[in-house]
Amino acid sequence: MSAHPGPRARLAGGLLFWYAVLGGAVAWAVHLLAGWGVDELTCASGSDHIGGVPLRAAVGAAVALPALATVGALLAAVLLWRRTHLPSEGEDRSVGRGRLLAVVGVWSNLLFLTIIVLGGVALLVLPPCQR
Amino acid sequence: MSTTAAPVPGASREQLDRLEEHWGERPSLRAWLTTVDHKKIGRRYLVTAGLFFALAGLSALAMRTQLARPEAGLLSPQEYNQLFTMHGTAMIFLFATPMLFGFGNFLVPLLIGARDMAFPKLNALGYWIFLFAGLFMWASLPFGAAPNAGWFAYVPLTGQQQTPGLHMDVYSLGLLFLGIATAAGSINFIVTALKLRAPGMSLNRVPLFVWAIVATGFMVIFALPALNLDNAMLFLDRRFGTHFFDPEAGGNVLLWQHLFWIFGHPDVYIIVMPALGIVSAVLPAFTRRGVVGYVLVVFAIVAISIISFGVWVHHMFATGLPRLSYSFFSAASTIITIPSGIQIFAWLATMLLGRLVVRVPLLFVIGFIVTFVLGGFTGTMFALTVFDQQVTDSYFVVAHFHYVLVGGAVFPILAAVYYWLPKITGRMYHEGLGRWAFWLVFAGMHVTFFPMHLYGLFGMPRRVYTYPSEPGWDAWNLVSTVGSYLLAVGLLLVLAGVVHAIRRGRPAPPDPWGGDTLEWSTDSPPKPYNFAVLPQVHSLHPTWDESSRESMGAGAEADRVLADGRRTLLTSELDGRRERVVEMPASSWQPLLLALAMLLFFTAMLFAWYPVAAVAAVAVAGTVATWLWPPRRPERELGVSA
Repeated sequence: MSAHPGPRARLAGGLLFWYAVLGGAVAWAVHLLAGWGVDELTCASGSDHIGGVPLRAAVGAAVALPALATVGALLAAVLLWRRTHLPSEGEDRSVGRGRLLAVVGVWSNLLFLTIIVLGGVALLVLPPCQR
Repeated sequence: MSTTAAPVPGASREQLDRLEEHWGERPSLRAWLTTVDHKKIGRRYLVTAGLFFALAGLSALAMRTQLARPEAGLLSPQEYNQLFTMHGTAMIFLFATPMLFGFGNFLVPLLIGARDMAFPKLNALGYWIFLFAGLFMWASLPFGAAPNAGWFAYVPLTGQQQTPGLHMDVYSLGLLFLGIATAAGSINFIVTALKLRAPGMSLNRVPLFVWAIVATGFMVIFALPALNLDNAMLFLDRRFGTHFFDPEAGGNVLLWQHLFWIFGHPDVYIIVMPALGIVSAVLPAFTRRGVVGYVLVVFAIVAISIISFGVWVHHMFATGLPRLSYSFFSAASTIITIPSGIQIFAWLATMLLGRLVVRVPLLFVIGFIVTFVLGGFTGTMFALTVFDQQVTDSYFVVAHFHYVLVGGAVFPILAAVYYWLPKITGRMYHEGLGRWAFWLVFAGMHVTFFPMHLYGLFGMPRRVYTYPSEPGWDAWNLVSTVGSYLLAVGLLLVLAGVVHAIRRGRPAPPDPWGGDTLEWSTDSPPKPYNFAVLPQVHSLHPTWDESSRESMGAGAEADRVLADGRRTLLTSELDGRRERVVEMPASSWQPLLLALAMLLFFTAMLFAWYPVAAVAAVAVAGTVATWLWPPRRPERELGVSA
């Protein structure tokens, strides 16, 4: 492994790093806004289809896709955590800081995945427009 | 109690003199009005928020006296409506957040080893706007024109037809005005914590209180626009006849509630989060160890800040939205208890594994845990849609949120008052007086609010100025009123303790508690420049760590003294690596003038003096332009050769 990665590798590494830390949060936000927004607006219009697609399928996509993105972020966070697990030589602040954010990423991705899955369970048991 | 001697500064006498010359202010009216010193501004926030707290508390006492027995006639319905609206509005907007921002203002630069906030003039502007906005709202009460439709201001009740007069115009304009201060303060906290940390303070060495304040800052930045938009639309509907909330003209009544609670629920955490940070700051000193699970507490802070934006619909479970929509918010409202619980267990473990030093700040922390957990427990009940729909609009809800807000904000604030009083005033408080205050506040709080659960479950609705005699209502209401007077006596004792400390307290040493964070490594009260030598941080507990302490004494380096001007160090956001030295602004009239111009603008809008409002808007624009005008720099600095 090169000691000084090039700018592209640094950019990719940086993006992967922040995906690992915040990916679940962003995915959950998309899930919430898409799931709630599509459900409420479609039901308010008196229909249970959106663009020819059944509402249940549309909301299901708003559950499944963010859940997959969160699983990806979780895996990236675990990878980051393992990388920063190595004992640091001397006092390497960036490793310590990276490890902190990796732990935050692992736990927060697990939490956001749980919320998204619970929303998915509700989709299985509730008709989309029942009031 | 530790009697730590003042640390020997690593700066020479001459450097100290120069620092004093650049940062010190000779006492005068001009200096008082133009100061940008974060410690003075922080103290003003604390005192002003305390004053608004007293006014809101007196409103509550009047209401509880009215409700002590059925069919009482102490207050008219109109007076009661104004008092309960101002009580809620002031406690949320004019006390809790500004009080915690006051602690943030005073402490954040000290905790991170900086000499001031990142934008000192913006900081001063924030204070003046907060003061003027608070006076703007409270001044309406003696004229019978105070807001009168609840702190939540639901439409259509707050429309011009249903609530004529200036009442809700004061509300919407007052909150829009105040919002400028809150947003400015939040931006300042974020930038200060990200860019002015002492060298070596990487993210994993940042004190938990600072994490909490930064998280709060981000929450404000994302939540406040929703409230501002709501209030702007309400004002336009009321004053200029727009129809944002009028269904007959294509508007939507629920739009108000959605926008209000998109702000309102994060606001619960905006209030509670810095208070939780206070608990994490106070505990190490009184358990003689760091908070257990630092990383998990950081995770909890971050997670709560984000999830708090996805729970707002649980305030609208009785509005008839689709059940599937509710379920998304119900899931988030349930899961948010996990990071909250992590913090509680981290504090309990800290107390279990540490050596307890039972002083007044710790008593308030323990009182906080008991009360907040009870409030959190009923909060989890509200996450369940079916339960929420049964108790909505009853006194059960009032009991719940007072447990959360008094437990989650007032108790930590009181812990902070006693903990940092020696640092802020340079004087020690009277321990016996403090203990009496704690027990009275604790007992008064529970005697007041616990019965509300009961008469809420017995069916008593909230937001009523009186009630008929009903089984289970009368006696418990009287108990609540007695409790409120007990609580008031306890809070008076807190005030007496602060006044006693300032007038007769023993001089405080720099570190009376053996605390672990940087504010304890400087004088009590700190010098205008905070640190003679900016520290080099080597651990999460710099005051307990020899090499960090040495960096300010024998290990001081010339490039961390910065005595040639009002200067501090800029460092990198993630790892706290030294970047460059920056010049900080000196005292200025601009913040006060800008706030006065804004006050004129909002007052003119309230009374529909539109030409005056236009003049005020020009004055605001002019002051902002002067403020932002690039300073004249020496030619050498501009790259012009001689």
